[in-house]
Amino acid sequence: MLKLIIKKEFLSSLRDVRLQVSAIILLSLMVTAVLVGKEGQKQIQKEREAAQSAMYDQWLNQGNKHPHSAAHYGQFAFKPKPVLSFLDVGLDNYTGVSVFLEAHKQNEVLFSGAQDSNGMTRFGELTGALIFQILLPLLIVFLTFNAFTKEREEGTLKLTHAQGLPIRTLLMGKIWGAYLMVLLLFIPIILLAYLLLDQRSSSLDTEVTIKFLGLTAIYALYFLLFVMLSVLVSAFSKNSGLSLLTLLGTWIIACIILPKATTNLADKLYPTPSQFEFRQVIKEKVKNGIDGHNPSDVRFATLKQEVLDQYGVSTIEELPVNWSGIAMQAGEEYTDQVYDQEFSKIEQIFQQQNRISEWAGFLNPYLAIRNLSMGLAGTDFNHHVLFAREAENYRRAFVKKMNKDMELNHKPGVAYADYGVGKEMWSQIEPFQYRLPGTANILANQWRGIAALVFWLLSLITISAKLSAKIQIIEP
Amino acid sequence: MLEAVGLSKSFDKHEALKNLNLKVEPGEIFCLLGANGAGKTTTINLFMDFIQPTSGVVKINGLDVTQQAKATKKHVAYIPENLNLYGNLTGLENLQFFAGLGGISPDKATAGQLLMEAGLQKEAITRRVSKYSKGMRQKVGIAIAKAKNAENLLLDEPTSGLDPEASNDFAGLLSNMRQHGVAILMATHDLFRAKESGTHIGIMKSGELVHSLKSADISLNELEKLYLETMKSTVYA
Repeated sequence: MLKLIIKKEFLSSLRDVRLQVSAIILLSLMVTAVLVGKEGQKQIQKEREAAQSAMYDQWLNQGNKHPHSAAHYGQFAFKPKPVLSFLDVGLDNYTGVSVFLEAHKQNEVLFSGAQDSNGMTRFGELTGALIFQILLPLLIVFLTFNAFTKEREEGTLKLTHAQGLPIRTLLMGKIWGAYLMVLLLFIPIILLAYLLLDQRSSSLDTEVTIKFLGLTAIYALYFLLFVMLSVLVSAFSKNSGLSLLTLLGTWIIACIILPKATTNLADKLYPTPSQFEFRQVIKEKVKNGIDGHNPSDVRFATLKQEVLDQYGVSTIEELPVNWSGIAMQAGEEYTDQVYDQEFSKIEQIFQQQNRISEWAGFLNPYLAIRNLSMGLAGTDFNHHVLFAREAENYRRAFVKKMNKDMELNHKPGVAYADYGVGKEMWSQIEPFQYRLPGTANILANQWRGIAALVFWLLSLITISAKLSAKIQIIEP
Repeated sequence: MLEAVGLSKSFDKHEALKNLNLKVEPGEIFCLLGANGAGKTTTINLFMDFIQPTSGVVKINGLDVTQQAKATKKHVAYIPENLNLYGNLTGLENLQFFAGLGGISPDKATAGQLLMEAGLQKEAITRRVSKYSKGMRQKVGIAIAKAKNAENLLLDEPTSGLDPEASNDFAGLLSNMRQHGVAILMATHDLFRAKESGTHIGIMKSGELVHSLKSADISLNELEKLYLETMKSTVYA
């Protein structure tokens, strides 16, 4: 019986001219979004790879100079454009693409896409994610808003009931029939996207495939939730107009109002300091110590005495190593501590803000899918933080290497300008490489989103099971 | 066999049906006459379990409709006043779908034969129902009912809006089903059709079955007079 209803629902929708037109428009949009998105991702990744390579060449060919000058000369780290970002650009347009790595200073990742774009970026790019998360649910609303009400209005519900069809079976049939129609649109796009993945030589092939399958699964689940919700609303609405109004209202609240409200709430509850305030705090702590009672001159005097004691000498000039190199590295490490502390505070604020959005997924599945999708596509805040951390680790390692060389090889008494190293030294610094975190890391970070979607599924199944007997055959 | 025992139905404070007692034996056609709001459709809806009675019992072949809803559906077919069917499906597909829900899976040839027996033109069978007239849709409804081969048939003003020829064809089909022992309960406004097709006639007023008589015991003129008098008394009641 269920099969019969699914077949009828599917066939009926397939022959509906309004749905045909809507589906063709949506399908065209999806194909365009995926093709354009993939082309854009490839182009950007190519540019970033080229820029990263060019910057490393510059580093290698900077000529002979003092290692500390080289540490100031610095390097750039470019954030790779994740393969799956063509489906969901996430926060990529707002989080910056490159960071300048230099001595003494932890710079921010700069040059976001939004900086270079006009105001239209705020309205979102046409991406697979935008279509899957916002437009496809709208099609689901139009596909299902009258699933029950129309039957009730036209009397076919009486006829199906008269044939002995249990209302629960009809409800299930309508859900699966509409879902099949949605999958008919979704599957070709997913297959097209998979073909475009271009996984030739990446060592992350399996990871990309797993993430892609993860994206496919969560979107398939998201659509099922919308279908179930829409059919249920139709089943309990007095008429088609009311059902459409309820569903459109729900769509506007879920996809437009609540996400903004959640962001505003998170910002109110966990406000972020301005960049100026942040920099001032760092400057202050570096100068006067983390606790405010350990100024830099005192710290260096203590360090100096420790080094002199270690080598059993009484003046810097008697040291067998370069005091400046040691002092530089110590200063570097102290500054790192300050940065770590302050950045961790900022990260914590952002994490708290994100947690609100993640927990809100239990109220609004759109927020759950948005976070999960960004996570699997590699474009969420977590990915940005991981990149920034890795770039910072790289900066610390190469600055330390420069300071160590200075400490060991720049002999006391040799003028700064007279000591230099060259390409042999520079090439000891490997080029910066960033690898996206694996699926396990993403899932560990995004479990709330998955839990929210499962919660919604179980809730809707329970509601369907409990309330299906209350569906009215004729208008009350 | 269709049976209502002390059947009542109220919607909030409004009593739509009051203590209805009625029995339709196999091979009988019981026509319920009455003005709008007299309780005819409520009676049919109660027999079909579309709504639940406030009190009383509805039985189909001796089975309580409220208690054994699923089991009773096997023994009853139903044709509503406005049979809209699924516009995007053909007449044939509609028949196959509804018959399938009733547990019968006629192949295309059998389904086509049923539709033609119900009076549908061959070329119309594979046309989408959205292009059908009301009469054509009613014929599909009859074919659906016949496909079910149920012992009981409930009809809610089935000839309303049909042209005389279609209405006459419909009466012929009912007569044929009656001869095969089907118990038929039909709500109608059509006095002529009730007298011509019905074996029994009931006149309802404000939720009550005021008169119940055999069709053979009354002429069309007498029926008309009785009906009008009953309706008048309704107006001035």
